[in-house]
Amino acid sequence: METPPVGIVLEASGLVKSFAKVRAVDGVDLTIADGERVALLGPNGAGKTTTLLMLLGAVTPDAGRVSLAGHELPRGRSAAMGEVGFVAGYLPFPDRLRVREALSLFAGFYGFSRRDGDAAVAAGLERFGVGHLADRMCMELSSGQRTLVGIVKAVLARPHLLVLDEPTASLDPDVAFRVRTGLLDVAAEDGTALLVTSHNMVEVERLTERVVFLAGGRVAADGSPAEVAERFGHGDLEGVFLHLAGTVVAEDQLADLDAPREAG
Amino acid sequence: MTSTLSSARARPSFSWLRVRTVVRRHAYVLWRSPHRWFDIVVWPLFDILLWGSLGAFVAQENDASQAGTPYLLAGIMLFHVLFQSQIAVSTGFMEETWSRNLLNMMTTPLREIEYVVGLAVYGIGKLVAAMAMVCLTAAAFYGFNLGTVGWGLVPIVGILLVVGWALSMLVIGLLLRYGQSAEILAWASTFLILSLSGVFNPVEAIPGPLQPFSRILPTTHVFGAARDLLAGEPAPWSDLGVAALGALVLAALSMVFVTRKLAQFRHRGYVTRYS
Repeated sequence: METPPVGIVLEASGLVKSFAKVRAVDGVDLTIADGERVALLGPNGAGKTTTLLMLLGAVTPDAGRVSLAGHELPRGRSAAMGEVGFVAGYLPFPDRLRVREALSLFAGFYGFSRRDGDAAVAAGLERFGVGHLADRMCMELSSGQRTLVGIVKAVLARPHLLVLDEPTASLDPDVAFRVRTGLLDVAAEDGTALLVTSHNMVEVERLTERVVFLAGGRVAADGSPAEVAERFGHGDLEGVFLHLAGTVVAEDQLADLDAPREAG
Repeated sequence: MTSTLSSARARPSFSWLRVRTVVRRHAYVLWRSPHRWFDIVVWPLFDILLWGSLGAFVAQENDASQAGTPYLLAGIMLFHVLFQSQIAVSTGFMEETWSRNLLNMMTTPLREIEYVVGLAVYGIGKLVAAMAMVCLTAAAFYGFNLGTVGWGLVPIVGILLVVGWALSMLVIGLLLRYGQSAEILAWASTFLILSLSGVFNPVEAIPGPLQPFSRILPTTHVFGAARDLLAGEPAPWSDLGVAALGALVLAALSMVFVTRKLAQFRHRGYVTRYS
């Protein structure tokens, strides 16, 4: 039996963005296939968030092109956003709404009728184990609950691509585990591609199958976590991260740092 | 789920469903925010009491008829058409910035035009509520009925609505460019119009150096026309025509302005101010 051709959900080429005299992104190319799980990594100031915002059409690149699920930005932005879900751990929901109302509104923006939207919201909340939050005011959510509700919002329309900016930042390990499990379920069950930024390299290795490291606004490495670690001569992604951040730490020092955590 | 999905993915270029969703979003906020009811209930009530009482006092002191009171009341009531249509759209947009919801909205299929139309429709709802308040207050306390202006009221209200929306586009453009420091303009812009448009008085009563500015405002011609109608004169269609043309030109310019500011907002990455 022939393997069906793999579709491309995201294609970005030659992305350039400068703010004043600072070149934040300098010629980034990124292609993501249907169902692929990719991490966009790099130290602070590497250009991750700017790249994400350009991929989402929220920031206009100085040069380059972005195609999302076959829709060219910026012209096809509305149609493209119908194929993409976005979650950021730092983004709150409208605070004067109940969770159910806020999600119902987003369902409306994705084109669901009121009745279909409410049904999709109820199903989504149950799917991620947060059905009990439906009548909670958004302003009362903890950061972990907000992230889980954010994922419910992002997958309402069964997107082809889920973009997550720091989804587990500042979450307790148990909540981070629930978020990761939920995302892996979405990827496995819906065939949704993931594009994740994170500073947690352990999480990245568990959640994704490919990492793209940015440094100085350019792609410094692209491959599986093991390939990238090997290419930089480190045992894991944390070593690569520190290397690209300009802080070279010997592997035995990393092992020393890991020892108390593992013992604990 | 398949049918749900297919209906969700069938996205027309302009969606009234998304427009209705914007209206619903702001209706929820209004319902949950008692301070927002000040725009609809408290300020209109205070304005009618203030200007109605002032008119009654002046008429009493001058031992004259109460002829001045209807002019003051009609002026402030029509000013509320402008104020409500402008402030609903401007504060609606500001609500997205205050609740840091802008990036959430920008990453959905919602189009800018749908958002603006949704805010305008929501604004009409607020306007109807506020006008009901001012009409009831004016009728109850001063026995004044704005309907005495007659059918000429229809183009007058229409022109004021368009000017209010145009002003709100200018305010949103400035908010996109300058962020929260431009918020004060949402209120200041309508009060600038209030003072320069001769809401209660003819242009000749405005200081001479400011009169040329007053004359180019479409609102000046609208308020003048309303006074003519109240005085029982025939509808000054030429004045209303000039006002309508001015309002359309202002609306077109404001759309160009906000479109350019939105492009600049995306180009300079200002969305990060609200995330």
